[in-house]
Amino acid sequence: MHEVSIAQGLLEIAIDNCKKQGYKGIESIKVKIGKASGVMPDSLLFAFEALKPGTMADKAVLIIDEIPISGYCNSCSSNFTVNDAYVTECPKCGHMSLRIDTGRELNIDEMEVC
Amino acid sequence: MKIKVVTNILEANDRLAAENRKIFQDLGVYVINLMSGPGAGKTSILEQTIKGVRGKINLGVIEGDIAGDDDARRIESLGVPVVQINTGGACHLDANMIRVVMDELPLKGIDLLFIENVGNLVCPAEFNVGEDIKVMLLSIAEGHDKPLKYPLMFQESTALVLNKIDLLPYTNADIEKIKKDSLSLNPKLKIFDVSCRTGEGIGDWVNWLLTIVKK
Repeated sequence: MHEVSIAQGLLEIAIDNCKKQGYKGIESIKVKIGKASGVMPDSLLFAFEALKPGTMADKAVLIIDEIPISGYCNSCSSNFTVNDAYVTECPKCGHMSLRIDTGRELNIDEMEVC
Repeated sequence: MKIKVVTNILEANDRLAAENRKIFQDLGVYVINLMSGPGAGKTSILEQTIKGVRGKINLGVIEGDIAGDDDARRIESLGVPVVQINTGGACHLDANMIRVVMDELPLKGIDLLFIENVGNLVCPAEFNVGEDIKVMLLSIAEGHDKPLKYPLMFQESTALVLNKIDLLPYTNADIEKIKKDSLSLNPKLKIFDVSCRTGEGIGDWVNWLLTIVKK
């Protein structure tokens, strides 16, 4: 739902980095998006394509690396990874006291500049 | 040429939120980000809270809605300083929106500022606006499946206010299940049962607010 503001934020960060380091344009931007971040990759791509014209990222490709949810169960002491957008109980024992380690990411990882 | 960036995309928002928090703290304003789905009773609990704390602490309210100023008028009619934000379609408030309007409130005279977020159970939990705590409101009529369907909101909140408990006899909602699932997601969650319509439970909620604000 808020992918447009996310796309705006990532463009600003990328363009800012590109300018600061003295490059002319951006060829690709790689982002890590956690499955539990609430961001839909398709909507993010759509928003990115809509916002990039006329910027230094005019020709840039957005590469989305989706990160699954992983964590640790405080009850059965096991590590787990799931492919859903949310996890509320341990896939092994069903307990709900969990520590979530990955899946909430919303990061720019790297970009190719020219 | 590849360059490493490794920056959180919400960093700009988080930085602004931290600045907001500093401004509020310096002026002695305690800030609650009030979140719920549409129609759970955010403005109604504010009206009850205003009546409950009157003469004890001074409130202020920032109202966030996609459009309209009905909520702000309701708060204003109770003599509390209020400013309305219309997001024009955005599903949540962000730190910059708060930064832009905060000067319109007499912050120096406010002890407790409520930021009433846009009615939505998903996005508001992702965006910090400079609050001390998040409080979530859920009405019984929304059903007992909500904690497990929208876990982030429950995990991020310090307190959960269960509104419209006067409707319990007329619904199939299982309030004990709501509480059990919410506490499983967030064992430290403080839960209040209230009815803004009858006033039931408002006293406990108001007393808790007075305690945390005085701290």
